Amino acid sequence: MNKHRVALTVNDKAVSMLVEPRQSLADALRGELGLMGTHLGCEHGVCGACTIVVDGDAVRGCLMLAVQAEGAEVTTVEGASPAVGLSEIQAALREFHGLQCGFCTPGMVMVLHHLFTENPSPSEDEIREALSGQLCRCTGYQGIMNAAKAVSARHGRLNDQPTQTPPDTTGI
Amino acid sequence: MAIGKPFVRVEDERFLRGEGRFTADYALPHMVEAHVLRSPYAHAEIRSISTDQALALPGVHAVFTGDDLPSDLPPIQCRIPTHGDLSAYLQFPFARGKVRYVGEPLALIIADTRAIAEDAAELVDVDFEPLTAVTDPSAALTEASAKVHERGNLAGRWGFDLGDVATALDTAAFTASDRFSIQRHSAMPMETRGLLASYDAGRNLLDVYGPTKVVHTNRNMLASMLGMGEAEIRMIEPDVGGSFGARGEFYPEDYLIPFASIRLKRPVRWIEDRVEHFAAINHSRDCVFDVTVAADAEGVITAFDVKLVCDMGSFIRTHGDVVPSHAAASFPGPYRVRNYRIDAMTVMTNKTPTGTYRAPGMFEANFARERAIDRLADRMGLERAELRRRNLIQPEEMPWHVGTESVKRPTIFDSGNFPLIFERATQAFGWSAPFEREVEGWKRGRGMCALVEPSGLGPFEGVRIEVDQHGRVQIFSGSSNQGQGHETILAQIASEILTVPMEKVRVRHGDTGIITFGGGTYASRTAIMGGNAVHAASTGVRQKALGAASRKFGFPIEDLDLREGAIWHGMKNEPLASLGDMARMLMPGNQEILVTPSAGNIPDNDGLVVTSYVRGVSAGAAVFAVHLADVLVDPATGETKVERYMVACDVGRQLNPLIVEGQIIGGVAQGLGGTFLEELSYNEEGQLTTGTFADYLMPNVYDMPPVTSLVFEESPATTNILGVKGVGEVGPSGVAAAVGNAIANALSATSGINTLPLTPQRVIEAIGFEVGA
Repeated sequence: MNKHRVALTVNDKAVSMLVEPRQSLADALRGELGLMGTHLGCEHGVCGACTIVVDGDAVRGCLMLAVQAEGAEVTTVEGASPAVGLSEIQAALREFHGLQCGFCTPGMVMVLHHLFTENPSPSEDEIREALSGQLCRCTGYQGIMNAAKAVSARHGRLNDQPTQTPPDTTGI
Repeated sequence: MAIGKPFVRVEDERFLRGEGRFTADYALPHMVEAHVLRSPYAHAEIRSISTDQALALPGVHAVFTGDDLPSDLPPIQCRIPTHGDLSAYLQFPFARGKVRYVGEPLALIIADTRAIAEDAAELVDVDFEPLTAVTDPSAALTEASAKVHERGNLAGRWGFDLGDVATALDTAAFTASDRFSIQRHSAMPMETRGLLASYDAGRNLLDVYGPTKVVHTNRNMLASMLGMGEAEIRMIEPDVGGSFGARGEFYPEDYLIPFASIRLKRPVRWIEDRVEHFAAINHSRDCVFDVTVAADAEGVITAFDVKLVCDMGSFIRTHGDVVPSHAAASFPGPYRVRNYRIDAMTVMTNKTPTGTYRAPGMFEANFARERAIDRLADRMGLERAELRRRNLIQPEEMPWHVGTESVKRPTIFDSGNFPLIFERATQAFGWSAPFEREVEGWKRGRGMCALVEPSGLGPFEGVRIEVDQHGRVQIFSGSSNQGQGHETILAQIASEILTVPMEKVRVRHGDTGIITFGGGTYASRTAIMGGNAVHAASTGVRQKALGAASRKFGFPIEDLDLREGAIWHGMKNEPLASLGDMARMLMPGNQEILVTPSAGNIPDNDGLVVTSYVRGVSAGAAVFAVHLADVLVDPATGETKVERYMVACDVGRQLNPLIVEGQIIGGVAQGLGGTFLEELSYNEEGQLTTGTFADYLMPNVYDMPPVTSLVFEESPATTNILGVKGVGEVGPSGVAAAVGNAIANALSATSGINTLPLTPQRVIEAIGFEVGA
């Protein structure tokens, strides 16, 4: 099958990849660029594990073809993470036990990363709406919601305080 | 103290940064990829399979079919005892002569890429002679039914008959009877299955990445199927995106992918897609109970009389008949009912084979029993909690022997104060508080489920602990981890006993290369079995370090103490040596702790290393739990909303409250999925009609009510040193029962609410609406 050269920016770095026209952007990010943080849970656009940010929109990496990304600016979970440690959103997800197996987690991080970029202090309804396209089989979403609500509250405007107090994380 | 603290999980950072390493993230040089060609028919003769065209496609390396497998290859064995001999129903890696379910493997295509392998699959020509599909278990038992297997569709019929049920029924003041159905659904972990097998032909060594759950058992099964030595195969568990019982069993691919790697002498990777997963993973539940419950005039339950039919699908897999077996063994629940009879039948149909899914048999039995008890209470005019209260097993009756068994192990509740927890649960929820029965046209109802969840089953678990010269502690565990948080809780136990900070403890697991024997992760067992193995090994390390320090420094061992990760003598201000120092002294060949060193006097040190295998207690540890729910129902549409949900349970002792709560809430979410949404439904041709996430609905963030967990540590387990009870399956176990009872209560329904999932249609049918009328 003929391959096409696609030039784009991924996590602030100009890259170029040679892809088949049928290759999804998620597959290309993983297979061509080695960015394994973007996970494929269903490959039919339902679970949201492959969510990435493309030109400012949260999109499903499995539903976009790599050839459509010519000239695009893409952020993956690797790009949404600090050089070391965790971003505020990531730290909150850990603090509120918003993940268990961790497979859906990069999608959750990206959806919240996108939400908080657009709106630093979203309401509970706005958070829920943002997360509504993501499936998590482990947590029951409560920890994820509490984490996002806590971040929003720290940014000042959310009246709904998390229903759970942060755990004591001091060591022995 | 580290045990009991709500530490944030040590494994979280890598997942949050996208640095987890799941099977699909592994690759090896010269690796090729596999695709499994699966049957499109539920039941058909295979006349021929032609692979020539597929092989001719550029990029295709091989197409394997049943003809390529050794003629004496045994079927995939069932790894646990079953009721009767079910060996006639075992599955071979490829269909032989016939296909028996949609999704049964027919051929394995190996190509440069997964995409080319899928292209090639289209070119494999299979000539089928379709046969009548058997899809309904009751029809399967009729004389006229087609046969799924030669031996017949009734795989097993067995049961228990305790006490005198007939007399109890004859003399009962009240009885209630109904049929309760629990639909076929399953675990649906977010990561599909996958394997990467790499064969080193020169050394005859095989590495397999991707197994989980019971890696040592799977390794041994594969060794015997391949005719290899057990230690010549290494199974390595990567990060695993959820199991919930289904993932990690030995499936056909667990033979086929290593087989292909051996034949091609190249690494072969197979990553399942989601549509494939729906057809290939073990399905579960799929039970019908006919229940009669009897009581005397005082509200003492005198008998349970039960018939159970369980649809096993087309083959008996590695789990055998555990779902109906656990359901039958535990049906009486937390009640002191001595007259109990169950007649269980396991039936073969042309559907995907079944196995376990979180709280196997228990979610099902709890729904049937607790709905029947509500019926009985309504009939008696007795308050529903009061009926339960009058029948709970009392603390002085512990340990309670139910009189049943499952997988050849007696059903025993080791400990518990059921009445105490029951009272605390109902009080905390406000069970007796009056509530508005109607809100803006919606009706409100309240429901509960009392249950006992077994945990910590299985014969043994093993742990090796190694301390290095820097005082770093490595735990090599025989158990597996699929997201539960074992890397944190096992580290907590070692951290406490060895008095080292959490940062110095690392947990490795799920790898046959790191410990000789391992039990694995199932039946809510890792906190108990893995935890107690860590306890034993850590205690051993502590003793070994103290003993060596005693010899080195010449103080009696009882005058020495291990704290802050170092050995101290009496009230001295400085420690004698750190754990790391002791590890160095105990290295083989090191003469530092010889009293009189000499050249010919090499000490037989074997490191600050201890391996411990702890034996399981056959009945494990029993968790008593009460689920409580308030539900709103729209009587016009059948729409339901769970307003609030509480799980109260006694877990004996919590290792990490954050993780305990997470297990409970996440479990409730899965229970709600099984109660309202999830169904693997088949049409008459045996085609799965809910084979994508667009058709098979799982709870999303809008479907979750606020869930509260109320965790008690009243009755430590008597069957393990830590006193812990497993919490992994308490969450889903009672959901359908509590929610079903709340819906029936809202509607004052005297019939219905007995078939899962509780769709709007089934809900309004319970109040006499004819759909479409």
